[in-house]
Formats: sequence, C-alpha cells, structure tokens
Amino acid sequence: MKPSQFQHHAPEQIGEVVGLLAQYGDDAKVLAGGQSLIPIMALRMATYPHLVDIARVPSLSAITASAGSVKVGAMVRQAHAERHAAVATVPLLAKAIPHIGHFQIRNRGTVGGSIAHADPASELPAVALALDARIEATGPGGVRHIDAADFFLSTWQTALDDGEILSAVEFPVWGAHSGFGVEEIARRKGDFALVGALAGVTLDGDRVTRACITMIGVGSTPVRCHDAEAALIAGGATTDLDEIGRIAAAPLTPTHDVHASAAYRKHVSPAIVRRALTAALKEARS
Amino acid sequence: MNDRTRVRLTVNGQPESVEVEPRALLADVLRDNLGLTGTHLACEHGVCGACTVLIDGEAARSCLVFAVQAEGSSVTTVEGLTPPDGLSPVQEAMRDCHGLQCGFCTPGIVVSMTAYLNDHPNPSDDDLREAMSGNLCRCTGYQGILAAARQAADRINAI
Amino acid sequence: MSSPVAARFVGSAVHRKEDRRLLTGHGQYVADASAPRMVHAAFLRSELAKARLNSVNIEAAKSAPGVIAVFLWSDFHEKFGEAWHGMLGEQLVVPPPLAIMDVRYVGDPIALVVAETRALAEDACALIEVDYEPEQATVDYASAAADSNVVHAAWGLPSNVMVEVPFTPMSADLDETFNSVEHVVETTIVQNRYLCVPMETRGVLASWTPGLEELDLIVATQSVHETRNFFARYLGLDEGAVRVTARDVGGGFGQKMFVYREECAVVLATKLLGRPVKWIEDRLENLTSAGHSRNELGKVRMAITADGVIEAITVDHVADVGAYTPCPAVMDPTLLPGPYRIPRLGFSTQMVWTNTMGKAAYRGPWMFETTAREMAIDVAARQIGMDPAELRRKNLLSLAELPFTSPGGKLFQEITPLETLEQALGMLGYDEFRKEQAAAREQGRWLGVGICVYVEPTSMEQATLATEGATIRIESSGKVVAFLSTTSHGQSIETTMAQIIADQIGVGYDDVTVVQADTQSTPYGPGTGGSRTAVIAGGAAHDAAVAVRDKVLAIAAHMMEAAPEDLQIAEGVVAVRGTPDRSLTIKEVATQAYTNAHTLPVDVAGGLEATIRFKPKRFPTWSNAAHVCVVEIDPETFIPRILRYIVSEDCGKMINPQVVEGQIFGGVVQGLGGVLYEDFRYDTDGNPQTTTFLDYLLPTTGETPLIEIGHLESVSTTNPGGFKGMGEGGAIGAHAAVANAVGDALAHLGVNVTSTPLGPEQIFELVQASQKERA
Repeated sequence: MKPSQFQHHAPEQIGEVVGLLAQYGDDAKVLAGGQSLIPIMALRMATYPHLVDIARVPSLSAITASAGSVKVGAMVRQAHAERHAAVATVPLLAKAIPHIGHFQIRNRGTVGGSIAHADPASELPAVALALDARIEATGPGGVRHIDAADFFLSTWQTALDDGEILSAVEFPVWGAHSGFGVEEIARRKGDFALVGALAGVTLDGDRVTRACITMIGVGSTPVRCHDAEAALIAGGATTDLDEIGRIAAAPLTPTHDVHASAAYRKHVSPAIVRRALTAALKEARS
Repeated sequence: MNDRTRVRLTVNGQPESVEVEPRALLADVLRDNLGLTGTHLACEHGVCGACTVLIDGEAARSCLVFAVQAEGSSVTTVEGLTPPDGLSPVQEAMRDCHGLQCGFCTPGIVVSMTAYLNDHPNPSDDDLREAMSGNLCRCTGYQGILAAARQAADRINAI
Repeated sequence: MSSPVAARFVGSAVHRKEDRRLLTGHGQYVADASAPRMVHAAFLRSELAKARLNSVNIEAAKSAPGVIAVFLWSDFHEKFGEAWHGMLGEQLVVPPPLAIMDVRYVGDPIALVVAETRALAEDACALIEVDYEPEQATVDYASAAADSNVVHAAWGLPSNVMVEVPFTPMSADLDETFNSVEHVVETTIVQNRYLCVPMETRGVLASWTPGLEELDLIVATQSVHETRNFFARYLGLDEGAVRVTARDVGGGFGQKMFVYREECAVVLATKLLGRPVKWIEDRLENLTSAGHSRNELGKVRMAITADGVIEAITVDHVADVGAYTPCPAVMDPTLLPGPYRIPRLGFSTQMVWTNTMGKAAYRGPWMFETTAREMAIDVAARQIGMDPAELRRKNLLSLAELPFTSPGGKLFQEITPLETLEQALGMLGYDEFRKEQAAAREQGRWLGVGICVYVEPTSMEQATLATEGATIRIESSGKVVAFLSTTSHGQSIETTMAQIIADQIGVGYDDVTVVQADTQSTPYGPGTGGSRTAVIAGGAAHDAAVAVRDKVLAIAAHMMEAAPEDLQIAEGVVAVRGTPDRSLTIKEVATQAYTNAHTLPVDVAGGLEATIRFKPKRFPTWSNAAHVCVVEIDPETFIPRILRYIVSEDCGKMINPQVVEGQIFGGVVQGLGGVLYEDFRYDTDGNPQTTTFLDYLLPTTGETPLIEIGHLESVSTTNPGGFKGMGEGGAIGAHAAVANAVGDALAHLGVNVTSTPLGPEQIFELVQASQKERA
C-alpha cells in the first residue's frame, strides 16, 4: 500500500503556489497537512503527478484577530488552532476541533485542508457553515471571498475554481451571552460522525436573538438547518427543543454506508440537534 | 518523475541526510533508509497508530507524512525515547502493567503515551482513555496499557 | 527422579523477558529483516468474486521500472510438489499459488510481481491488464447449499457443500423427550463474520541459495516447524535443507497457524530467481485475503421441563468456509451441551463454499457451540419466563458432581462451571443489578445483563497436537538455555517457561534464556495455538528441567561424596540437606560436567543437558469460565456501551497471573469487538465492503470497559504443573455475554436478540421492527 509517484513542489510564496497550480492544472493537488490526502493516495484511490506542498508559505500559517472576526490561515494545524488565544473567541471552532480524529491527526491536520477537503461528515466545514464564515480563495486573478453557504457543493467538492487555493477562513466572533454546542455520535472514539450537530445561540434574557444549527453526516455536504433556527428564534429559549430537532431533521435526506442506514441517521437526528442546542443554551445562560 | 530528493532530518538527535523518492513515507525512510525498524507499519492508512513518532516534539503518524514534508524537522522514534540505561518511565510502566503482548503496536503506544503525558501532566482516567484511543492493540484489551498510562502519569508527577 | 521443589517463580508476575526488546523498538519481526540482493513482492488480486480469466496481459508490467519478474500460474505449474499441512492432513491441499483459469473470491491472487521496492512492485501491478468474464457469485452461505451457482464448478464439483453430516441423534429418546416436556424452544442463532486481525500482517522473507540448495524462511507464523515440514514437501527437499525462524511475531490468533498460498508463491519466486524475495502483506490484503472467521448459524432446539430442567438440546448447523479454506475449523457440535447437565443431544452440520475469503482458525475456532447454546438459553429464559441466571444455575455442572460424561462423549473433570457463575454473579451483585435495572427502566434507561458460561477443551490431541519438546542445557557457566518447540506470537512463552524451568532446576529466573522458533536448534512442535502451550510445552519444560536437575545432583553427589537424594538445589547452589556448609555452586558442578567429564563415574556421561517430549496424561485438559456483561443502550441513538465486564475463570494453577489476565483481557475485547464493532461485509455480488480500518472497526480504549477478573483454581492432573490452557477462553465467552446483555436490555420492548453484529443500526432496526409488530 504505497502511493504512486509524484513530483513534490515546495513553494515559499502564495504567488508561486498559484503559478504551479496554473502550470499543472488537473495534474496538481495541494498538499496541506496530508491527513486525508495521503491515505487516499496510499490506497491508490487517487494519483496526482504533482503535489504542491503549502507548508513553507509563511502567510498561510497565520492566525489574525480583527474586530468581529478571526482569520485562520489555511496551513494552521488543528492542534495549534485549538490552543490559540484568538481562536478562543470563536468557541464553536475550539469545541469542534477535539472531535477530529485523534490528537496525533490534529497535530498534522490543518484547518484549511479540512474545509477544502469538504467531507460531509467532518467538523470544520460545518463550523464554517454554521458561523457564516468567509472563505478566502487565492487564484490567478487574485483574492476573492466565498460565503461558506456557497462553498460546499457536494462530497469533496467545493466552489473553488481550478487553479484556486483556499488560503484562509475568516470566522465571525459572536457577542456576549452566546453559547455553543457540538454533539456527535460515532461508532468509536475519533471516528467520522454518523450524525452530528453544531449549534450556537445568542440570548437576550429568554429571547434567542441569534441561532445557528448545522448538521453533519446527513447529506453530501454539511447541512444548515434554517427552519429550525427560525423556529428557535421565534419561540425563544424555552421552546421545546425536541420540536426544534424534528424541524431540523424533517428535510434531511441522508445517505447510507456500512456504518449506518439513511433511516437510522434520519431517526436519530432530532435528538442530536436537541443535545447540541441544550449545551449551547446552557453555555449562553452561564 | 523518478526524481529523488535530498531530505535533511535530525533523527533521535543525529543529523541525517537521505535521498528519497518524494512518495517515500517518513515511516519507510526511518525503517528502510535509516534502519530504525522500531517504528512499525500496521495499516499504512493512518488509523492504527503503530507508526507514531514525534515530529518536532509532537506525535504524528509517520505513515501520513511524506519524508519530504519533514525536511528540516527533528524526529524522535521509540529508539530515541529509550534512555542509555534502563527504560523510560513510560516503558517501565508498560512492562510493570503488562501493557504489551506481541509487541507490534507497542512502539506507537510508547510514543503516543510519552507525547501525551509531556503535554498533560495531570490527566484523569477518562483523559487517558481518550488520549490512547488513537492506537490500536489487538492483544491486551487495553487494560495494561491504560494501567501503564496511569502509573506513568503518577510517577512522572511524583518526580 | 528427585522430589518436587517449592515454587519460587511459578505463580508470580515476574517482568517479562520479551519486554525490553519490544519496548525499545528492537523486536525482530519479519518486516524488519533483510538479506543481500533482496527484492520485494506484490500480488495482483482479483477484483471480482467469480470470473473466468480470458487473458492476463503482463507485458507492460514486465518492462516497468525496477521490475525483476512477473509470475503467472504458468510459471509455477509443475514447479512444486505436495501442498498439505501436518495438522490438517493430506486431504486438505493448499490452493494453487496463483489463480489458474478463473478467480473465486475478491482477493484471489492472479499475478506476483517482484521488483526492487514494494512501491515499484505496486506500480507494475497497476499496469497488468486482466480480461475477466464475470460469473454469478455465491455469497449468502445460508442458501449456498441449494444454489445452482457452484463455487468450484470448474473442478467439476456438483454443489457448494463441502461437508454434510445429516441429523445425528446422540440419544435414543430425543423425539420422545421433545414431545413430552413442557417447553420446546426453537431459535436460529447467527454469528457474523469477523476476523483475527493481528496488528502485524502476514509476511515472509524467503531466500533460496543456489549451489547451497537450501531454503531459508523468516516468516510471521505460529509454527516454524510445520512451516518447514510443509516447504520440504512442497519443494521435495530434506527437512534439514529448510530453515524457518520467527523471532518475533506480531499476533496471530489462529490466522498464522497454517501455510498460505501467498507464502507458496513467494517461495517459488525465490527458487526461480535465486535471490531473496520479501512479501509483507498490506492491511487491505490482510482484511480481504488472510482468512476470515466465525460466520456460522445454527437452529437450536431445547426441551425444557416446567421446572426449568433442560432435557435435550439439538442444533442444525451451517458454516461458511468461503472459496478456499486455510483451516475449515468450525463448531464442534458434540460440545453443544457445554458445561451443563443436559442429558440428550442431536445435531446436523453443513459446511458450504461461497465466493468469499476462506475460513481460517480464530481463537476458539469451535466456539459457535458456546454462542449458539448461550444465546439460545437467553431466548429460552425469555420464552419460559425464567431468569437467565436461574435457568443456568439449575442446569450447570458443579465440581462436586464430576466426573460427568456428556451426551457428546466428553468426560468432564476438574472444572467449576457453577462455581464460576456464582463468583461472577457475586462480583456483579446480580440481584441488586436487577433492581437497578427495573428502576432505570422506569426512567427510560435501557440496561441489560448478559451471561455466558462455557467449558474449553485445551491442549487437544488431534493430529500433530499431542506433544511438545524441550531441550534444556546448563552451560559451563552455570547459566541455563532452554530450547523449546514453541513459536510465540505474544503469549509470553519466554517468560512463563523460564519461570517453570527456574523453579524446577533451582536457579534464578534471570539465569534462564529461552530459545524458540528456529527449526535448526529447537525440538519439533506443531505450533502455538489451541490453548496448548501451558499444559504441553509447560510439561516438556518441567520434565526436561527435572531431568537436568537430576544430572546436576548425580554429578554433585559424586563430587561431594553424598547420596543424590540427600542433596537439594536452591538459588543456584547444591547443598546437603541439613548441612548447608557442604555445598557447591551449579557453576562448579557444570565445570566438572564439561571440563572434567573424564573424572566422572563411568555411568555418568558428562554435560548437563536433557531432551524430553511431553504428552499429557489425557486429552483434552478442560478449563472453564463464566462471563457477565452489563450494557446500557442509549434509547435515542441506540448506541450500546458496556458498563461492567466480569470474568470468573478457572485455569488451574497459574504460571503467571498477569499473563493469564492479559490473555483474558485480549480475548474478551476481541469477542466484544465482534458483537459491537467488527463485521466483515460483502455485498450481494461478493465485493468486500469493509476493507480498511475505517470500515472494519477494531475496538479502541474509548470503547473498552474495565474488565474485572475472579479466579478459581481447580488443579489439573493432566500435567505435572497442574496447569490448564486458557488463551482462547476470553474470545469464546465474550460473544454471547455481550449479545445477551444487549438482548436483556431490549427484552422489555419485545425484542428477541438472536443474531450479531449489534451495532446501533441493528439495534435500531430490532426496536423499530418490534414496535411495528406491536402496533
């Protein structure tokens, strides 16, 4: 089980990265932490003649806090993000990271790599979607921003154009009286979620003024549950959360795999949403 | 495409320079080029943890790292965690608690446990259960491994 | 013979001799070995479960970079001789090293590529073009016997039935019994397909040296000697021309007990190339092609009186042996009544071929008798409205009523089934648990307890398995080297055998070195497996140590002008009993024995060495245990979690309690893995669905409960140490204990658990079906 041969490129400037992607087109793949890409290559599920290793581009490893948001460079390792003071202002991100694989994986895996990989069962795409993060894409034409809502197209497919690289993700910082919850069920510790929910609320007394609910493992992308969010905001913090869960689950059309059927995933979804919201509300009240 | 690349590493404190194919995994380079066969390969797709090494002090699966990615890094393998005389506290705890049988997963267990305890001096039993969940073992049923993690944590703290 | 000695090391948890090298990264597994001019092998394997091979084009692969050779069946045809394993006999032939005209399972090897590196060999495999003509595969074993698609049609076989034993009543009044009792319980128990999965995959470094005409193999095996005998026959060589070694083996669990076709192909490759060829199986290959296990079902019937006395049990059993079985070890139906007083038995058995990976031995390969009986007892308890612990109590044998001969012809003695059940229930606090369970149900929590009681035939006599050998030598330095017939793959044999030997000679544990798994220096042994080492190899080590001690005493008696029976040895010193100042060190005796042998009496040969073969007094050596498991199932997510796991076991005298408990721990986690996490699946066309560690789920620390163990010790009289085998028991007992716990947790919902696996999806489906039925 050895990967097929490739040429390794290790540019030190983002411009060089974009240049290499333009030069090799479909033959090139960006290598960030490699924790998803390398097993795919080892199993020879994919072969790439050129890997563009972005680890030596210093600008991609920066975390910068500004008013209202935290910008995390694509190459920031998940473990470093988890421990970073600025990331503590984005609690949903900090709470979601420990759910990724195991600590050995998080030491190498990157925030940008996980979001660009766009696995529908993984946590960080869901964080981006839940928080309305802005994806910074750098391409031959320069930098553009893509709303997370428009970014995830299907399993392992994103709105990045050919030749573009995800260079950073900007996560909004929520205000006071906010709380967040991450709830997921998996076959074993560290496995991809069978079903997961990431939730956030902002409270004004008993009124929910802001809410986000995103589910993973229930479709070909992470799924934002807008109807459930609206119902929660309309109903306030004392709303029946089981009902919110049912509203969230109603439109889902999960797929099946060896670990769980579509019917199972759909059936358990309301409870997972309720648990994530319960945790978020508890934190917002404290 | 058959180009070889020179990779410079510090391995267990020794500077090394090897010429490898870009596709060479760090695990294979440690084993085949440097003769450090203590790092074992048991799945080659990043799940079992047998190949865990420290890269710049942080535990990583060496089957999920191309050697070229580790250029300039300092790598520590199970061989490098062994003091010149005797055993490290983690190794000693593993022996005391019968944390190994066939020994194949053991190097990865020793490296992971060492790395975790370095960063987490006061782990609870639940913390240890979670921390060690990234290393598969088929012989011990994990009882001796978890007992060893507890003993090592307590001994390291007592020092 | 001299009188017995006091145990100093037997019974204590000494540090393992294996640990220093294994903990520091200096184990020597086959993947760590290399040889001058070594090249690497990779197999191209079938992607289809059943197909004719129209053509295999290897031209591009042959000219790919680094490729030394590409072999097809035609290259190996007529290059080998007999291909059978001593333990399995001449009738069970290892399949051809590569597919001939057709493929019969996904993973069937078609070509062998040898190249400068494994990566280059894999590159070349990708260039081989296979033109398949697909055929309809047979996958479902329950219907395979009647399937007109015949797996081995190309051999002219008429059906998929490999072995069929029609229903055989072992008691004359079976029918009358079933007609006369209050309760007849009938249920079909299904055990899923799960696998050994040693952390080290298979592997071999094969070196044929032209001119020398000798074959050297370093191989991941449970038996170096049977591997040597196999390849001597295979290549028509004298046994002395084949050397097989295996210093460290990374687990086996039965999978590495036999010789595989892949190893045959690698041996033929080194012979044809005249240079060393190494094959290290990757995990994909190991999961799909290294032998599969369990996957059996049985329709169980029990006749039970109004008082809960089980008067008869029968099974109609079907086992899947796959396409080519490395070891067709399936349920032993004569063990179905287990450690119970059940007086009547009947059974039928069918072993069927399917287009899947073949059946291999796995830790307690006959264990479906336990799964079938113990799960059926819980079904029965639910049906007749009796507590499952009470139903077992009423029918279990206890030590006091032994010996007992079962209707399957098993003579039980020196076992403690009822006693272990009571100990395990006591450790749990069974009655309190039942109250806690009732209260939890009121709160909507689903708790359940599962029990499994079994008796385990260890150290069996079949074929090659009856004996082991030991050569023990006290060297001129006074240190001891023991050459044993065993091949350890994690069992702590270097440690436990040294404990026995040190005690019997009267030296320190650190003075003993154990050498094993080298055919050029150790006595013949059939292999480590079948829970046979403690009893049989332990007996050989014991008796050889006693024989060497007697030689020490004979020479010391001559040197000290004392009678041998007046001497004793302790801590390396021979002394006259009661006169401690009249003593010699063993080193002094050894110097006399080797350097001044000419001064010894004519009837004392000199040297200090003895070779013994040991055979137990009778077969098997029974051991037994009771497992009790408590689970909680989340009613919203259906995810089961084990809260407590208790084992009460009786393996007689323990050589090393830590090693005994380690074996139980490992076996239990394999068993609970098979119920809750592990499930090897094929789709209906025979495509494997769980080919990586992301899909085939081994338990981790995150899922594994704390395991509590209680010990009982009824000493065995089959061997001098009083030991019993116990390596397989954990895996035998855990399956039914965990499945029954899940069943008990769901019983109040009307769910009847009769099959595994029991992951959240299966539990969800059971609950849904039961609710639908009730509605």
